[in-house]
Amino acid sequence: MNASNFINPFSIREDEGSFAGDFYTRNFERQARKDSIILNLGPQHPSTHGVLRVLVELDGEYVLRAEPVLGYLHRMHDKMGEVKTPYQYLPNMGRVDYLHPIAWNWAFVGAVERLASIEPPKRAEYLRIISCELNRISSHLLWWGAFVLDLGGVTPILYAFEEREMINDILQIITGSRLTMSYFRFGGVCADCDSRFIKLTKDFIPYLRERLKIYKALVTDNIILRRRLEGVGPMDTDICLRYGATGPVLRASGLSSDTRRNIPYSLYDNFEFAIPAGPSNDCFGRYLIRLFEIETSLQIIEQAIESLPDGPILIDKAPKANYKLPAGESYFAVEGARGQIGVHLVSDGGKNPYRVKLRSPGFSNLSLFAEAAKGTLLADAIAILGSLDLVIPEVDR
Amino acid sequence: MTEIEKLIQRFKQAGAYVISNHNFKKEGLTVSAVIDASQLKTLAKDLYRQGYSLLDLSTLEVKEGFLLTYHFDKFEKPGRIALRVLLEGPGPIAPSLYEIFQGAEWHERESHDFFGVKFAGNPNLIPLLLPDDFQAPPPLRKNPESLTSLAALKLFGSYEILSSRWETIINSKVENIS
Repeated sequence: MNASNFINPFSIREDEGSFAGDFYTRNFERQARKDSIILNLGPQHPSTHGVLRVLVELDGEYVLRAEPVLGYLHRMHDKMGEVKTPYQYLPNMGRVDYLHPIAWNWAFVGAVERLASIEPPKRAEYLRIISCELNRISSHLLWWGAFVLDLGGVTPILYAFEEREMINDILQIITGSRLTMSYFRFGGVCADCDSRFIKLTKDFIPYLRERLKIYKALVTDNIILRRRLEGVGPMDTDICLRYGATGPVLRASGLSSDTRRNIPYSLYDNFEFAIPAGPSNDCFGRYLIRLFEIETSLQIIEQAIESLPDGPILIDKAPKANYKLPAGESYFAVEGARGQIGVHLVSDGGKNPYRVKLRSPGFSNLSLFAEAAKGTLLADAIAILGSLDLVIPEVDR
Repeated sequence: MTEIEKLIQRFKQAGAYVISNHNFKKEGLTVSAVIDASQLKTLAKDLYRQGYSLLDLSTLEVKEGFLLTYHFDKFEKPGRIALRVLLEGPGPIAPSLYEIFQGAEWHERESHDFFGVKFAGNPNLIPLLLPDDFQAPPPLRKNPESLTSLAALKLFGSYEILSSRWETIINSKVENIS
């Protein structure tokens, strides 16, 4: 049982003198029309995020077929989960998706807590919600800048980074890091917030609301952006369900679905926030949904900061490095910036988990691209790719 | 009849081997059923018609073989449900759900990469996350000595067993451990 069992009709490899591309190109070419062009986008291309590679078959400027090629950033997090104790594995979670690490923290910690029947203290839950939502905003801000950059607008990302820096400064106070955060612990969080954190967060909320008005005037209402996005890449609810797409992609298709509401976890039930759906299922709809989500996250943070309870941030006798999980399985899903993140944890009662399966939303969202890109202009395919908000380390894991 | 009861009845009609009611707060699942591989596509089609989406496929290697767990969700109550298929014997092969849920293609390719499970009907079963010239056994396969039996993993919540074969799988092994 090994990889050489695959049907590979082209036994010549690149290094043996063939000039016809690698295994994936040749596999893709088998179904190609005679008069079409095969083009490799990436894995090192400025308009494909990270090291994503997309094979496209073109008829002039139109995409006949597309096939994403993954694995350039694959690190086998699933295997690492089996050879480390849960406590040792926890920092891995910040590295799966570097734009929304706190949501991944939550998914894994949640799965462990579920299996071990641990209930974190209330103050910890509030801190989790505040940090997760702040992180969600910073992820959406970076997406917003990078997406407009993909479409040829260079300035907005500089605006987005200004706000993102402020969030990083705030989150640094409690998490101690700016990118691959590992803030959660089994049974709580690792550090309490101070008055500076609360003041900075409180100041940041009205500031960002003002800036969002600038975003609207500068970018959202821009006629060039509208022409590039409106009516491009429609995805209805059916295609989302067939591919398992979640998050803003699914919500833009008109289904009001959000893990924070559908399968409520933590204390999200205590907060008032809207789950937007629609207004359109094209690239512009997905763009609007994400900008609107920044506002809903601000609302949640506002409520949580106001009602932040006193108390401990970690349970007594919280699991440490030598903690053994009881036998059983648990699945914990959280709403990440890109959709539903899931961790499926199976334990046989040993030192290390028996199996850890990570479900990344980007993986399912990207799988839909091949069908959505069919028949579009190449430039529109890039817009569709950008509107899916891909983070490649998360897709590849 | 609640939606869950309707689902359970449908699973029983399809000859499910084990039906499990889970405690959602503890396991993150509401109901799961172990079914025969031949029933997988029919049941998946049913779920698709009811508005379910295939969100995840996780493969688990155990002493008995490979347990595939298909996670479905409808984005409303009753929450996540799962269908499980046990592939016994050498050369594990399962039917592909590509015709119903096209997103299954990648999940199945991942399972093929990591465990060597094959899926009949998958249109493009080439390496997805591993390189095309990867020359080693599938990386998530375990050593025979570190394999655990299904019973020891306590996967089935409060269950109802409808097949004598599964009676032996779930019950006799539990005695071995205690």
